[in-house]
Amino acid sequence: MSATMSLKDDATPSTGPLLSVEDLRVTFQRHGEKPFTAVDGVSFDVHPGQTVGLVGESGCGKSVTSLALMGLLPKRGNRVEGRATYEGTDLLSLSDKEMRDRRGRDIAMIFQDPLSSLNPVVSIGIQVTEVMERHQGMSRKDAMPRARDLLERVGIPDPNARLKNYPHQLSGGMRQRALIAMALACEPRLLIADEPTTALDVTIQAQILALLKELVQDTGTALIMITHDLGVVAGLCDEVNVLYAGRIVERGDRHRLFARPRHPYTHGLLSSIPRLDSPRGEKLTPITGSVSDNLPWTSACAFAPRCSHALDVCRQESPPWEWESDGRGLRCFNPVDPEEVRRG
Amino acid sequence: MADPRTSRTKAQAGDVLVDVRGLKVHFPIKRGVIFDRTVGHVYAVDGVDLQLRRGETYGLVGESGCGKSTLGRAILNLETPTEGTVLFDGEDIASLKGETLRRKRQHMQMVFQDPMSSLDPRQSVESLLVEGMRAHGLDTDKAATHARLRELLQAVGLPPAALQKYPHEFSGGQRQRIGIARALSVDPELIVADEPVSALDVSVQAQVLNLLEELQDEFGLTFLVVAHDLAVVRHISDRIGVMYLGGLVEESEAGELYDLPLHPYTRALMSAVPVPDPVLEDTREQILLTGDLPSPSRPPSGCRFHTRCPWRQPTRCDDERPQLRVVDVPGASEGHRVACHWVEAIASGDVDRHEVAAEYVGSGDATTPADDGSPFGPASVQEIG
Ligand SMILES: Nc1ncnc2c1ncn2[C@@H]1O[C@H](COP(=O)(O)OP(=O)(O)OP(=O)(O)O)[C@@H](O)[C@H]1O
Ligand SMILES: Nc1ncnc2c1ncn2[C@@H]1O[C@H](COP(=O)(O)OP(=O)(O)O)[C@@H](O)[C@H]1O
Ligand code: SF4
Ligand code: SF4
Ligand SMILES: [Mg+2]
Ligand SMILES: [Mg+2]
Repeated sequence: MSATMSLKDDATPSTGPLLSVEDLRVTFQRHGEKPFTAVDGVSFDVHPGQTVGLVGESGCGKSVTSLALMGLLPKRGNRVEGRATYEGTDLLSLSDKEMRDRRGRDIAMIFQDPLSSLNPVVSIGIQVTEVMERHQGMSRKDAMPRARDLLERVGIPDPNARLKNYPHQLSGGMRQRALIAMALACEPRLLIADEPTTALDVTIQAQILALLKELVQDTGTALIMITHDLGVVAGLCDEVNVLYAGRIVERGDRHRLFARPRHPYTHGLLSSIPRLDSPRGEKLTPITGSVSDNLPWTSACAFAPRCSHALDVCRQESPPWEWESDGRGLRCFNPVDPEEVRRG
Repeated sequence: MADPRTSRTKAQAGDVLVDVRGLKVHFPIKRGVIFDRTVGHVYAVDGVDLQLRRGETYGLVGESGCGKSTLGRAILNLETPTEGTVLFDGEDIASLKGETLRRKRQHMQMVFQDPMSSLDPRQSVESLLVEGMRAHGLDTDKAATHARLRELLQAVGLPPAALQKYPHEFSGGQRQRIGIARALSVDPELIVADEPVSALDVSVQAQVLNLLEELQDEFGLTFLVVAHDLAVVRHISDRIGVMYLGGLVEESEAGELYDLPLHPYTRALMSAVPVPDPVLEDTREQILLTGDLPSPSRPPSGCRFHTRCPWRQPTRCDDERPQLRVVDVPGASEGHRVACHWVEAIASGDVDRHEVAAEYVGSGDATTPADDGSPFGPASVQEIG
């Protein structure tokens, strides 16, 4: 995994990774149903201060990955395998109690829907101070001014008054800010954001993304950014991982990945989204079919039925993960030739 | 298709098909257990003039709650205007009744965001498609109906075998194709598509967008596409209208809107859309708006955008509502209209951008005005306007 270190364009971290995920696998087994592997051998590193993107379409395993790392998957009916080493400790082997102690202190998470992650009958102020009381042993009296500062820091207007508000009294954007304030309360070294702006309007999304960018820069927090929006990734992430059907199919530094996508899926995604700045009348090139056409990874490339590059071997063998000379990782028998990529 | 143009022989592409004049749709906010008391209104659509020309695709963009869907529904006569009129082919649709209304309705169809919830899960695709045709008396001859069904499926790119299947057997993109086939089945002139691709996966969106374009070329349809995604709208539209809090703030040919956005809100909106291009993302200038969208139940006075506008001026902005008008800006064409008092001065650089302090606007939930004494009694709600 150390090859990923050379991928960063700015300031290669001198220390090792903060979090190293190795071969993460999550299998759901519902009663009377065939086991379903939602995350199928995912590996990636996150270095201090780095922003790593996990991008893919709905159902590809982004949320399950983050929930597994946070120890938030339901205990019954699923199996989590692999390792997630955070500063020498494997998070996946921790007890519930040990994980609870770390959650919110070392690693914090921001979800898509802030309303469901906030307690509706507890004021914002109490919810923010509770995190500090629990993890830092602060008294509510001491924590309250800090909570106020945090709300101000994340751009909530009139923070003193907002401390007394309940979640339903805030707009979607303000709730997401409040959640970010809570996540920052204990100065975690790693923040996981799962589609933090998907439910928001685009002008509010721009505010939240700018805030996250600024926080990462100012505090040195590492960020795992999970999204289906390639545009969000392009502006925010140092390194981008593209997921398809539970596996990472391509990884690279964002500049290289967007300028020269090598995996047919990445390439297909980029040619199928309309761009605000594309010339008028430019035809989109959709990816044919849908994820319901997938083949199992165990004996094929899952993407083969939809892939315009597919060879016979793609339906008979599972493509292995390989590193390219430019430090990019790829899982494909017949990648897109950089010369044929028209984007730039 | 069985000559879709018979009814349109006299019509010319470019004629006005739909003429919206001074349209307002206000929803009362009711309170009280025994007596329904009207405690306020949601000004969902609040004074819109809009023309749809035959054969064009008009895109309506704006953020959540700005009234796009309500405007689309009002054009289809699915909402009753509080004020103003909608003329369809020269006739005021609100005045039509019974048989005439039914016949008119046939010419206007809707495609919904979530294909699953708009299709009855217990009906096969065949019965879903025939149902619409039957309602409009188009299902007279069995053989003709069957031929028509095959044509419809072909037009939307589904195999004939799809007829015997049920909605749950299809993917989201395929279901959206069924929804589109259903709208086409009655041979409409106008299709209003409300967020037609926003429930679909990125890779599938393009399939449906391309389909909409092909259908328009093939059948000369008029489309009103309502969407929050500016890139999607820009891709398929000939003209675009930008809405903010119940009103149109800018209207222009699609390419020109992108090259020369003039209204401060359009400029901010455009700069906020993330582009999948790291180089552009790193270099382009962003106009970050502070604060939230005010609630449509308490729209700001004057220019509705004045609470967030980085170009707001001490005069006119707060108390005089700007009309949508042709502007005197180099490069702007006749059809480019903007509702801003200061647009010329902003474009020439005579009026500068400045910082805006964010105002608290509450939950934005129109049905619970923050000042109505809700159980938690918000301590310090700042009234806007
Ligand atoms: N039947 C109704 N009764 C009361 N209020 C309504 C009704 N329909 C819509 N509204 C309100 O009118 C406003 C405009 O709604 P509309 O659905 O047109 O917005 P929109 O622009 O389509 O938003 P979105 O992008 O979220 O779909 C909103 O505040 C909405 O809550
Ligand atoms: N608790 C669960 N039980 C069974 N299947 C699940 C569960 N949670 C998620 N899945 C399935 O795992 C896959 C990946 O889900 P998820 O990670 O939520 O996708 P996304 O990439 O959209 O976040 C999906 O097919 C989903 O239906
Ligand atoms: S392995 Fe084969 S099917 Fe899979 S993406 Fe590469 S070329 Fe396509
Ligand atoms: S009228 Fe004033 S507040 Fe409104 S957009 Fe123009 S400058 Fe801004
Ligand atoms: Mg998810
Ligand atoms: Mg809507």
